[in-house]
Amino acid sequence: MLELKALSRHFGGVRAVDGIDLAVAGGQIFGLIGPNGSGKSTTVNVITGLLPPTSGTILFRGEDIGALPTHLRLRAGIARTFQNIRLFGQLSVWQNLWVAQNSAEDRARQGFFARWLGGQGGVREEIARLLEFSGLAHKQDELAANLAFGEQRRLELARALAARPKLLLLDEPAAGMNSEEIAQLRDRILKLRDTGITIVLVEHVMELVMGVTDRIAVLNFGQKIAEGTPAEIQAHPAVRKAYLGGEAA
Amino acid sequence: MLDFLQAVSDGVLFGATYALIGIGFTLVFGVMHKINMAYAAASVGGAYCGLLVLKVMAGAPAWLVFLGAFAAGGVLGWMVYLTCFHFIPLSSPLATLMSTVGMLLLIDEVIVHVTNGMPQNYPLMFDDVMLRAGEFTLRGDLLLVFGVSVLVMIGLLLLLYHTRLGLATRAVSQQPVAAQLCGIRLVRVNALTFVVTGLLGGIAGALIGASVGMLSPLLTLPLTVKGLIVTVIGGLGSVPGAIVAGLLVGGFENVLQLYRGVTERDLYVMLLLFVFLVFRPGGIFAPKSGRD
Repeated sequence: MLELKALSRHFGGVRAVDGIDLAVAGGQIFGLIGPNGSGKSTTVNVITGLLPPTSGTILFRGEDIGALPTHLRLRAGIARTFQNIRLFGQLSVWQNLWVAQNSAEDRARQGFFARWLGGQGGVREEIARLLEFSGLAHKQDELAANLAFGEQRRLELARALAARPKLLLLDEPAAGMNSEEIAQLRDRILKLRDTGITIVLVEHVMELVMGVTDRIAVLNFGQKIAEGTPAEIQAHPAVRKAYLGGEAA
Repeated sequence: MLDFLQAVSDGVLFGATYALIGIGFTLVFGVMHKINMAYAAASVGGAYCGLLVLKVMAGAPAWLVFLGAFAAGGVLGWMVYLTCFHFIPLSSPLATLMSTVGMLLLIDEVIVHVTNGMPQNYPLMFDDVMLRAGEFTLRGDLLLVFGVSVLVMIGLLLLLYHTRLGLATRAVSQQPVAAQLCGIRLVRVNALTFVVTGLLGGIAGALIGASVGMLSPLLTLPLTVKGLIVTVIGGLGSVPGAIVAGLLVGGFENVLQLYRGVTERDLYVMLLLFVFLVFRPGGIFAPKSGRD
């Protein structure tokens, strides 16, 4: 589904991402972890096209997407959420989802009226389904800025889903959540995986990462220091060293 | 007292054109966080282009000239975008400011050149209509100016708040990065914003020409300044703010023209701006920030 080959991104002399190789298989939930500043967010930014890579290639479903601008990567099927929420605050919940319906399929299928005036053609049904999924149906006319924090996070996830992604990048979705909310998030992520969406989960909350992922890669100082199943990663000496500091156990 | 009321009403009616010009500045600022200094000049340019309709078809009705100005304004808006924004690095805050100042001067020069610097008569509509209520009157041409402006504004607000294109435009102005990640093509929204504001400008220019009875290249600079004042008083990036501020400035300047004469009038408009900058620098409707 997604393959990074020798991907690097440098900022001046700082090697934020330094020659990473990754392969995410279709249908997986893939965890990307590492200490602060290890290059996780930069990697996500490069994958979505917000930052051009310094070198290396990005393959999405076998095609090199390194030269595609951000909006075309989204239309091809790569969506993401942000660590710090970036909703369209002065748009309603419903409108936030509507403007995000930009997948190639939707653009091809929706007629003029459905697309530009929000009429028929499955637009409303699809948005209603997303509202249902994220438990925001009763808030659909509320301005996004007026939602509670947890609701905003759910709306951001729904907005990413509005683009019918094949690959969904979640950048610290559990930040600031209590354990009950994390449990709900975990259920949602698993449900999404069951609908066939491949998920890359960038996260600090180990409770979530270890419980939900099929495979994990660990970054440190811009390099991949380990990859494996959650159990393998927990036992990995280099990982323990990176997280706990000091000498390898 | 009657003189005062008369001045206010005439000024507010004419102020609708300032509101349109202010909207043009404020929309571009909202979407791109850039000032398009060439906007008022391009609007006047569009109004001049409307006169070409009379060249092609002598005796064409005035509304056809207005329609020509409307369309030409849109084309000019797109050209301003292409020459002053598309190929110029947006990361430099001064680059597009300078390119649009250059465009302002260029449009001015072209107008002077083509017309030999002579003012051009502009066709009027309803200039013989006069509504009376005792001594109080409403000029038909000013009512037309106001009515058309209001229609255009309603159209714009419908576009911005109820169509997908408008929502995408507002999404870009609130969160440009997230908008791209929702599949919205930034360049296209930017270009369309210029076309839409250009259309507004063209019709505003034509209405100004019609209510004054003529167009002159001397209009561009004062109109630029007044448009910017309206934008600041209304609140940078706020469309409702630009509308209210446009009517306010129109009424205000006409009252001072009545009591202090046309030569002093703009002094007081500047004073009004000063008062706003000191006491309410964000404008009447300071838009909520939250942009990255």
